[in-house]
Amino acid sequence: MATTTSHAAATHAKHETGPGRLVLNWLVLCGLTFATFGFSQVHMSPSMHLAAALSISTVKVVLVVLIFMHLWHGEGINRIVFVTSFVFLLLLMFFVMADAATRFPLSNSRIPSMPVVDQKMMPTGMPPGMSSVRQGHSDGPGASSGEAGKK
Amino acid sequence: MQSSAARKMTAEGWLEPPPLPHHYDTLENHQGALRFGMWLFLGTEVLLFAGIFVGYFTFRHYFPEAFEQSARHLSVPLGTANTLLLLTSSLTVALAHYNAEHGKNRNAFWLLLASVTMGAGFLGIKAVEYTEKFHEGALPGKFFSFNEITAPGGPVFYVVYFFSTGLHALHVIVGMSLLTWVAIRCWRKEFSPTYYAPVENAGLYWHLVDLVWIFLYPLLYLV
Repeated sequence: MATTTSHAAATHAKHETGPGRLVLNWLVLCGLTFATFGFSQVHMSPSMHLAAALSISTVKVVLVVLIFMHLWHGEGINRIVFVTSFVFLLLLMFFVMADAATRFPLSNSRIPSMPVVDQKMMPTGMPPGMSSVRQGHSDGPGASSGEAGKK
Repeated sequence: MQSSAARKMTAEGWLEPPPLPHHYDTLENHQGALRFGMWLFLGTEVLLFAGIFVGYFTFRHYFPEAFEQSARHLSVPLGTANTLLLLTSSLTVALAHYNAEHGKNRNAFWLLLASVTMGAGFLGIKAVEYTEKFHEGALPGKFFSFNEITAPGGPVFYVVYFFSTGLHALHVIVGMSLLTWVAIRCWRKEFSPTYYAPVENAGLYWHLVDLVWIFLYPLLYLV
């Protein structure tokens, strides 16, 4: 029993994140929360706001994961699991956003001209501006047959 | 799960750890496997919320004005209060883990109780916000009837809003249940330096709930 206890104690000394460090981490996280709020009140472009908010949130998440969730001292295998899941999240986000940003180049500029129609069409799940863009491009028999083929 | 009644109280003031399953060499080995399993599960949770975040960014790309207008109608003080509540509850959970790991079961119990209370406070504030949205008609899809959002895409914002915060609130409820369960086991003095995996794993789940909110808060309320 004595050897088990001393062995456990030795392991703890290696893995320890003491209460002081936890409280300090909490204070930093609260500070960053107010920083996020502060940045949102500063006059910047929407994309800058988004970038600032995401950067601060990422720092906060890293702090929570490393200190509160003990990945700083944790086993390497757990780090691989968590980092991999985030890599897949970023992959998914990157490809979906790349698609959304490039597929219908005119869709965004067309939305304001058809607000009433668009709101009524939303429950049917029609992507915004899709119908008008298609009409604009379906100037050949190939295009219209392709569209019929999809339906 | 072994019942705690069958386990003896040690001289240090905590119950002896449950018997080691035969396919593990050491208790530490067992604890590591439990922790690894939890991390794998958290990985799938990240991917679950990934869908919601991808939806947010896609719809925000299509309806930037509606998203900005709608964000202005959410209460920033309530959102900030909820963020601080969750961060503080994460601290108490981390401290509870520390105490359980050192065999201070009663301390861990009170800290977990504080975390569950803060979780309930979070849900209370969320309920106030939801009630307001229902009265305004700021609702998803065809239920939308909120006149103050003039840009197209208002109903879409509230689809994202209700689905993301709703799924998150569901996780808060599950997390509170898990914390209550381990708090009861702390009260029974079940945890010790060699056996504290349930506190740690319930805590990991709670921290994940906090992580999701750390991203939701600025994206919904501030940007």
